[in-house]
Amino acid sequence: MTAMIEVREVVYDYPSARALHGVSFDVQAGAVLALVGPNGAGKSTLMRCIAALDVPTEGTIAVAGLDVEADPRGVHATIGYLPDFFGLYDELSVRRALTYAARSRGVSVADTPAAVEAAAARVQLSDRLEARAGELSRGLKQRLAIAQTIVHRPRVLLLDEPAAGLDPEARRSLSDLILSLSREGMTIVVSSHILAELEDYSTQMLMIRDGAVAGGGVLAAGGGHRDGSRVEVVFAEPPPDLGDRLVALGVTVERLEGDAATLVLADGEDDSALLAQLIGAGLKVRAFQATRKTLEDAYLAEVAR
Amino acid sequence: MNPEFQRNLWLEASPRRVAWAAVTLILIYGATALLARDAGGGPLPALAGVGGFVFLICGVIWGSRAAGTAVLAEIADRTWDFQRLSALTPWAMTWGKLLGSASLAWLCALTGVVLMAGLMVVQGQPGALWMPAFLISLALLLQAVSLGAALIGVRKARAEGRVARPGGVMGGLILGLFLLSVVAGSSGFQKGAGLAGIPAFLYARGDVTWWGQVFPAVGFRTLATLAFAGWALTGAWRLMRLELQMKNAPVVWPAFLIFLAVFLGGFAYAGGGLAAALLVGALAVALAAYAGAFAEPADRVRLRQFAGALGKGDLARALPLTPAAIAPFLLALILVAAAFGIGGAGSAFDQGPDPAQAAALLAFILRDLGVIALFRFGPRPQRGDFGAVVALALLYAVGGIVGGVISPGTGQALFVPLSIAPWASLASGLAQAVVAWALAWRRIKAPEVR
Repeated sequence: MTAMIEVREVVYDYPSARALHGVSFDVQAGAVLALVGPNGAGKSTLMRCIAALDVPTEGTIAVAGLDVEADPRGVHATIGYLPDFFGLYDELSVRRALTYAARSRGVSVADTPAAVEAAAARVQLSDRLEARAGELSRGLKQRLAIAQTIVHRPRVLLLDEPAAGLDPEARRSLSDLILSLSREGMTIVVSSHILAELEDYSTQMLMIRDGAVAGGGVLAAGGGHRDGSRVEVVFAEPPPDLGDRLVALGVTVERLEGDAATLVLADGEDDSALLAQLIGAGLKVRAFQATRKTLEDAYLAEVAR
Repeated sequence: MNPEFQRNLWLEASPRRVAWAAVTLILIYGATALLARDAGGGPLPALAGVGGFVFLICGVIWGSRAAGTAVLAEIADRTWDFQRLSALTPWAMTWGKLLGSASLAWLCALTGVVLMAGLMVVQGQPGALWMPAFLISLALLLQAVSLGAALIGVRKARAEGRVARPGGVMGGLILGLFLLSVVAGSSGFQKGAGLAGIPAFLYARGDVTWWGQVFPAVGFRTLATLAFAGWALTGAWRLMRLELQMKNAPVVWPAFLIFLAVFLGGFAYAGGGLAAALLVGALAVALAAYAGAFAEPADRVRLRQFAGALGKGDLARALPLTPAAIAPFLLALILVAAAFGIGGAGSAFDQGPDPAQAAALLAFILRDLGVIALFRFGPRPQRGDFGAVVALALLYAVGGIVGGVISPGTGQALFVPLSIAPWASLASGLAQAVVAWALAWRRIKAPEVR
């Protein structure tokens, strides 16, 4: 797999402070990267550098093979970027706003009407094309902003806190849209504080803390990824000496509370072998599943470090 | 159609707004015609006068404001980043904003020009077409300057961690022009610079003598204004390139400085010959160094990158990062040296400033640039401009008083570049410049807070 975004040792200085301290990571083509971290961590600054809106003080960033400093306009044409605080042309109708977005992003005059209709349809704004942008609700404005960002079908999409201020239904629509765009091959970077929501569509996660990469770099994500070799087991009618019997079987018990236990597989052992071992020892297993670590788990673990 | 121009037309020149503007103009012109119907020459002179007023209000004031706010409103409405990411070329963005944002203002202003030109044609006045051409050039010049000032304000504000506001940008532009005019009128620029032709140029009276050639003032003024409008437009385009993250090789800015030196030097040529023309050009260009020093963002990271690239001999990387004050200062030095070569060091020209005094003036400008850098790269860059202006005012005013108390004439010349003791001024200016730049460089090199 090739990296669509390559970030190498990026440092960014504001007049009075350093915002990024040597950040490095890759985002694979087609991935949906969740960029997480506390307020002021440097997520937005990093996104602006990737979008070639700000030039890193040191280091390099390449998007689709284009260096952001050497070819910023090429990067601009490749990406769609929605900042956390965006604005709209309130006096324009939705159709005109999307028409301007398409034309200013290089969509030809002939292709613009179709691009406008398609973008509006993707964010369920087809019935509002003649409405003024300023008259739309917060959620509909967010949809219009996203439609403007994707109207030219960019290869890379950067969304900074796209779900902020959206109601649950709109958030679900946003998740569906991101999944749909991802399936079409778009590489997407999303920053958000709502980690549970990122879980729905992210395939990778990167934690930024105090302007640096935390947690060891880009992690796998997506519906909760397997947390090492742990297994959650629930026993039916657990014997009083359950702990001793598990130890006697040579199983490593990480946690045992009532009828539930977290067991750790031995090196080279797979889930089915452990399950067979438990049943063979006469233990009644009611539930058995690999432990899943959510984005929130990973994030909180890093924060707690 | 240029999408940016079209978007501005949608917003500025909607049918409703055009209709309201038409009704307003009909009322204004109708009332004028009604009131002046019994005048001796008929209503046309009064209509032309009102037309001139309409042009001034719409083309100059409204149009300039619209051009400036074309960018600043995007900042305030948080749509500027969206525009910066567009596929539009910097030129398309520049003219789309300039003409689009002022489209309704131009529609209204042109009615005034038509009335004025109509009167002049009817009356058979000479230069009937020069006046409308001059007015249109003037409006274009001011609108382009306004757009350029807004782009400068946006870049400065971003580097200083604040948001550019229309009031601040326009106030800064007016204050900057005022201060430049004050410096231009200071002692260093007064000594018989041979610029007697400039009033004729400004007021289009009689003839203008430029590089020894005589031109009708009305046509000369129009063409010169058109040329400056072209430069202002070019400047706005270059600044737009920077906003779109493109790099500018230091070509256009030095070319403009040469144009400025040639243009102003041409007025001094008739009185003082080539040496005087060179010195006037040098002084004008040196003034541009102040403008450049204040107009650039206080970005010490960029300055360090420039110094680093220059140190490594990496000119390709260094040149686009060259501070704007360097080109005018170097050009001024070259022009002064040329004047020395022609006129001889220390000699006095029949008319025009003494080269030694001009050199002293350049030394003080070098010092001033150091003081400006010292304040602008301080811990609070948003107050840097104000601090630098106050510091310079104090250095000249208090220094002059202290020097005068120590020794009238020579003592004063240590703090102000005076013709009475130009060599003392030169030595003092150079010494102060070394101190100012040493202090400024410490701030520029200071590491960021981690």
